[in-house]
Amino acid sequence: MRIRRNRLLAAPLFALLGIAAFASPAQASGESVGGCMAEVIHEAEEHHGKDHDVLHDEHVQDELEKCFEAPNPILPELNEIVWGGAAFLILFVLMVKKGFPAVKGAMDARAEKIRTDLDAAEQARTDAQAVQADYEERLADAKAEASRLIDEARGAADQVRTDLMARHEAEMAELRARAAADIESSRTQAIADLRAEVAGIALGAAERVVQSSLDTEVQGRLIDAYIDEVAGGNG
Amino acid sequence: MNVLALDFPPVSHLFEWPDMLFSGTAYAINKTVLIYLAAVAITAAIFLLAGRKTGSLVPAGVQHVAESGVTFIEESVVMETIGEEGKKFMPFLTTMFFFILFSNIFEVIPGIQFPANSRMAIPITLALVVWVIYNFVGIKAQGFGGYLKNSLFPPGVPVALYLIVTPIELVSTFVVRPFSLAIRLWANMVAGHLLLVTFAVLTHTLWSNGFVGAVAPFSMLVMMTGFEILVSVLQAFIFTILTAVYIGGSLHPAH
Repeated sequence: MRIRRNRLLAAPLFALLGIAAFASPAQASGESVGGCMAEVIHEAEEHHGKDHDVLHDEHVQDELEKCFEAPNPILPELNEIVWGGAAFLILFVLMVKKGFPAVKGAMDARAEKIRTDLDAAEQARTDAQAVQADYEERLADAKAEASRLIDEARGAADQVRTDLMARHEAEMAELRARAAADIESSRTQAIADLRAEVAGIALGAAERVVQSSLDTEVQGRLIDAYIDEVAGGNG
Repeated sequence: MNVLALDFPPVSHLFEWPDMLFSGTAYAINKTVLIYLAAVAITAAIFLLAGRKTGSLVPAGVQHVAESGVTFIEESVVMETIGEEGKKFMPFLTTMFFFILFSNIFEVIPGIQFPANSRMAIPITLALVVWVIYNFVGIKAQGFGGYLKNSLFPPGVPVALYLIVTPIELVSTFVVRPFSLAIRLWANMVAGHLLLVTFAVLTHTLWSNGFVGAVAPFSMLVMMTGFEILVSVLQAFIFTILTAVYIGGSLHPAH
């Protein structure tokens, strides 16, 4: 492939070198007027001999005058028409068969690829927008669900707290009642104990005072009466 | 030719080149012929190389040159003058544009410095090819009678004026067009070549007689070289677009 490309590049290069080497401006043709005249005179002298006065010969003069005539530049040369026409024809065939379709085909393929890519990009954008909308919808749903769950949790927590408080208060009330009962029981017990203790003390004191013995029943009655008296006196 | 101490070469020395091969025959090769062949080789090389580089998304190098040329011909020539229908003439018009362009541009290539289209061969040959094509296209599109009628009796012209318009159209469409096409290209390249030679000879002569005097003609030579590049491209474009206009006129007589 590289070799073919190099050959393709070499073709115009050789053509240019060929033109420069073989047809430099110094080689421009068209014989000069002087050269043409010299050639005509030389030919006439060869034809008629050196002794003949060629410059006064009518035929030679006509030939010399032709040397001043420049060729009509507007008339095309046959060889240039042949080569130029053939060159254009060859180039046209090359372009129609290979060059133009290849370049235009590449351009069209590129345009088609760009069009396809743009369509694909547009489709991808639409898809992405749809996905984004879906995600946004899902996100909104999730947020709503989360909010609902939080509310539910908050409600449940409030309920639990209320229940706990109620239970706690009930327990406290129960404890308080139990403590009150215990206190009452302890107080009654303490009073009974105190009464017995006081009775013993009072009896001992009375025995010492009266120095007499009493039976137990009388002792009890005396003590109770004493206590009631004391209690009444305190109350 | 010695004019005011200037050694100006005869005009025939500027445009006629000696045969190198097959001298004196109808297929003799001279510098003009070599330039034609070089124009073919360069155009073919550009398009064949560009056609092989199909993979890249961004064109570069010769591919860019070829594609720019094709796009230019399509958008600035065909679509402007013929329309969608003219796309089938794209290969012909593209070939013609590049062939004329490269034949012209050798006018400013150092060492060669000769526009091949300053010889009448290719301008007249291409102009005659164009003449055949637009007449053929016109007859095919409108029929022989319709083509003649539309060409010679343009619609919208008062009937009395046909006495004047019809002969003018006859001469202009069927006789003058190919010659005007050919002579426009040929004369522009001849004039450009003569201008460049004139300033080159002036520069050379004045350089030999002291350097200072050569500055002005040398500046003009540089300017004219740039101008001739423009002329080379412009003439290729004009030849191509006029061809497209003629073909478009044959396809759509109303225009």
